[in-house]
Amino acid sequence: MAALIRATNISKVYHKTAVPVHAINNLSVDIAEGEFTAIVGPSGCGKTTLLNILGGLDYPTSGTVTINGIDISGMKDSELIDFRLHNIGFVFQAYNLIPVLTALENVEFIMLLQKRSRKERLARARELLEEMNIADKADHRPGQLSGGQQQRVAVARALASNPRFILADEPTANLDSVSTENLLDLMARINREQNATFIFSTHDQRVMDKARRLIRLVDGAIVSDEVRS
Amino acid sequence: MLAILAWRNVWRHKGRSAVVIGAMVVGIWSLTFGGAFMNSFLLSYIQTAIRHEVSNGQIHHPEFTQDFDIKFTIDKPQRIVSFLKENENVVAVARRSVVNGMIASTRQATGVKIVGVEPNEEARVTELDSLVAEGAYFEGISRNPVLLGKRLSEKLKVNVRSKVVLTFQDIDGNITAGSFRVAGILDASSTVIDEGSAFVVREDLNRLLGIEDGVHEIAYTTAPGTEDDLLAAEIQAAFPGEMVRSWRELAPLLLFMEQWMGAVLQVLILIIMLALAFGIINTMLMAVLERVREVGVMIALGTRRSRVFLMIMIETLLLSTVGGPFGLLAGYATISWLGSRGIDLSDYSEGLKSIGYESVLYPQLFLSDYLTIVAGVLITAFLASLYPAWKAIRMQPVEAIRGV
Repeated sequence: MAALIRATNISKVYHKTAVPVHAINNLSVDIAEGEFTAIVGPSGCGKTTLLNILGGLDYPTSGTVTINGIDISGMKDSELIDFRLHNIGFVFQAYNLIPVLTALENVEFIMLLQKRSRKERLARARELLEEMNIADKADHRPGQLSGGQQQRVAVARALASNPRFILADEPTANLDSVSTENLLDLMARINREQNATFIFSTHDQRVMDKARRLIRLVDGAIVSDEVRS
Repeated sequence: MLAILAWRNVWRHKGRSAVVIGAMVVGIWSLTFGGAFMNSFLLSYIQTAIRHEVSNGQIHHPEFTQDFDIKFTIDKPQRIVSFLKENENVVAVARRSVVNGMIASTRQATGVKIVGVEPNEEARVTELDSLVAEGAYFEGISRNPVLLGKRLSEKLKVNVRSKVVLTFQDIDGNITAGSFRVAGILDASSTVIDEGSAFVVREDLNRLLGIEDGVHEIAYTTAPGTEDDLLAAEIQAAFPGEMVRSWRELAPLLLFMEQWMGAVLQVLILIIMLALAFGIINTMLMAVLERVREVGVMIALGTRRSRVFLMIMIETLLLSTVGGPFGLLAGYATISWLGSRGIDLSDYSEGLKSIGYESVLYPQLFLSDYLTIVAGVLITAFLASLYPAWKAIRMQPVEAIRGV
């Protein structure tokens, strides 16, 4: 299967301290469309850095990242912003919804950036909230929702832009076990039914158990890459 | 949605926003009222000078204005008076004879401008009669009455009915003198009237000057709203042999003060808005810095930096301008109320009168002033929004959301 995401010999070195920190060391990885992949490893192993580079939030010090054949490592900041908008969905550990917007408006917001019509935005946002079993909270602001509910809105937001893949950085870290189960079931179903590509960074064993591919990092390098049936 | 987002962000910290909005309301009120108060001072000075001194316009023989040589009288003044009286914008006309001379009492002597007036005409044009504080307006003295300013009378140490001698050159160049008796003492805020003028009946002065019915000066007042410069040009065109000048030409100081009014308001705007701008910038910087992660996430999701910039600008503009209408309304109400009642500064009127002001001031703000204030507020809001917005777009999403 052709790679949706291809990272080739990427390295990331931080020079913020006297001694350079090698967060990613000459790492190469391919991720195909429809994968449900978890990047795991101990704290500081480079999971978030790798995710940021794959998601176009950060530049590798060396190496290239292509998404659907397009090299994003040399893109300008403004080009990357537009590229992210149309190609990548994000789910963050702390949900990071816009607090002054309702759940519906949060989902709608990203489609507004894509300049989609109001009618289309509303229909899609309602459909996604329905799919996330949270339609009854459409008019609630994030502060009025539980952590699990907020994270489901965040997933709906990530899906709203019809991205090529979704990056989820420790999405279950702040959730209780019931919310975690619900969220994982939801994402697994979307992956299965819509062939949506999910890439997680996680410590959570429950996420690892659901993942169909497990990439294990140590000191910025892949030490194991396990594909499950 | 950016506007909605910005509006909701303004009200995220109601107390903090209320303080800034309140400061803007007070600031704009101060501007409108302060501007109107300054206007009242300057307008009072200008209007007093126009009403009692220069009138809205004057006509002279062109050479008379150079050295006040009394032989340069206006040619056929009656046709000019008739022309002026037929003009609907002209309210009143007064003829004058003018000569520079000396005034002497038994105690003192000083230089003075002697103005021969037609009492009834002068009362309509300069309201000279309204300035009489002691005695009467050319009444009560059977022969050669004279009106003097209060300060001049104090200088000469004369009272009502005191005798003074006016000395000047007649038409033949001879020194001539006339004995006059003080009919009234004028209480004028104008220093020219108070210290330097003696008003006599034109017929009495002309007899001594030997110029029969000669007229040196025709002064006229106009209806409110008249374009005095245009009217002067119209009269000038009709009488090209004479020199017609509006008050702006006659008294350049008044023109300067008129222009100064606008400048004063702009300086006030600059000072008050500069102070408010720092408050706005401080509040918006706090708002931006405590939303580092949120702005970072917006950029990560695909919000262009220009949109983030615009959002922060809209937010700042809303925060800065939402109080504007209330400040303007409060200012307008205060000005309307005080504008009709007046601010009585009679406790300080001696000091004010000595520099040419009336003791009751009427605050007044023109539409153009309100527009200047609105423009000042908008420019301040715009400028104050730039730094916080620039700060917001410098955020790197990966740093903003680090540790999430």
